[in-house]
Amino acid sequence: MADQSDVWLVVPVYNEAQVIADVVRNALQTFPNIVCVDDGSRDGSADAIRGTGAHLVQHPVNLGQGAAIQTGVEYAREQPGAEYFVTFDADGQHQVADVVRMLERLRSEPFDIIVGTRFKGDDSHIPLIKRVVLKTVVAVSPKLRKLKLSDAHNGLRVFNKKVADELRITLNGMGHASQIVDMISQRGWRVTEEQVEILYTEYSMSKGQSLINGVNILFDSALKTGSRR
Amino acid sequence: MLIQFLLIAAVVVLLVFFLKNHGTTKTAAGVKIGFLLFLVLAVVAVIRPVEVSKLAELVGVGRGTDLLLYALVVAFGFQTINTYLRFKELELRYARLARAIALRNAEAPARADAEAIEHVEAVQRTEDPAHTS
Repeated sequence: MADQSDVWLVVPVYNEAQVIADVVRNALQTFPNIVCVDDGSRDGSADAIRGTGAHLVQHPVNLGQGAAIQTGVEYAREQPGAEYFVTFDADGQHQVADVVRMLERLRSEPFDIIVGTRFKGDDSHIPLIKRVVLKTVVAVSPKLRKLKLSDAHNGLRVFNKKVADELRITLNGMGHASQIVDMISQRGWRVTEEQVEILYTEYSMSKGQSLINGVNILFDSALKTGSRR
Repeated sequence: MLIQFLLIAAVVVLLVFFLKNHGTTKTAAGVKIGFLLFLVLAVVAVIRPVEVSKLAELVGVGRGTDLLLYALVVAFGFQTINTYLRFKELELRYARLARAIALRNAEAPARADAEAIEHVEAVQRTEDPAHTS
C-alpha cells in the first residue's frame, strides 16, 4: 500500500458519538493523519475522538459544517508534510477504498481537486427523493454543467495543497458545497469527479441533511455575493 | 405611473448599492444621511400633510398617506436586507473567532505517550513473568 503520510483527512463532527470512534479507527488503518473538527457537539463526540489517535480541534460553539471543514483544512495545511487533503464524513457514509482510489488519481493525473459522485454508475440505491432533488440542483446550475460535475453535494472531496491554501469557506452552514463549486470555477482549479459509494445506513439516513435544508442552501448561495471576499 | 417607476428604481438602486458597498464607512455615512432625510420628511409630513399630498399628486399617487406607505415599504425592505447582511458578516467574524480559539486549543493525539506506556508495559511483562498469566 502506498505511503499516505502526506494525506490529511478532515472530518467535521457534530453529535456523532455513537459512530465516530469506529469510523476514525477504521480510516486510521489506512491514513495516519486525521483531524476531527468537533463542531460544538453536546453528546461526548470529543471524548470518543480523544481515544482514537486522531487530532482533535474543538469549536467552542456550534458553527456549522462549512465552518468545521474550513477549520479542519486550516489546521491540516499547517502540518509539516501535508500535501493532500480529504473531506470525509463522520457518519460512516464514505468508503476508505474510494479515498485511496481518488488519491491515486490526484497523484498521477493533472487535477487539483476530485469530487465524489453518486451518479456515474448505478444510482438505484440512493433514496428516490434524494436522487430527484440532487439531480434538479445540477440541472438548474449552469456552473455545474460547465464543470461537468454531477453531484456537487457529495461530502467526499480530495484536493491538493494549492486548493487547501486557497480554500476560504465563508458559508458556515450547508451552503459550503455550492461555495466550493463557485471557488472551483472562479479560481480555475482543475476538477474532475470519481464514482464513489455512499452507504445509506439507518444511522446516516437519520442524520442526513433534510431536503428542506435545500431551500436554505439555495437562499444562502444566492445572497452570499453580498459578503466580502 | 411615475410613482411605480420611482419606487421600483429606489428598490433596485438601494439593493445594488448595498450589495456592493455594504460594510464600508461610506455606506454607513450614507445610511445616516438617508435616515436624517427620512426624519425631516417625517416631520414635514406631520406638520404639513398638504405638502405631502401635493408631492403625492406630483408623482401620481392619490394621497399623501399612500405615498408614505409606499416609502415605508421600500424603507422596510431596505432595512431587512441590511440586517440580513450585517448578520451574515457578524456570523463570519464569529466563526473566525471561534476558529482561532479552536486551532489554538487543538489536541494532537498522544501517540508518543501511548508508545511510552506500551514500552513500559512490555518491560514489565518481561521482568515479571507471573504478571502475564
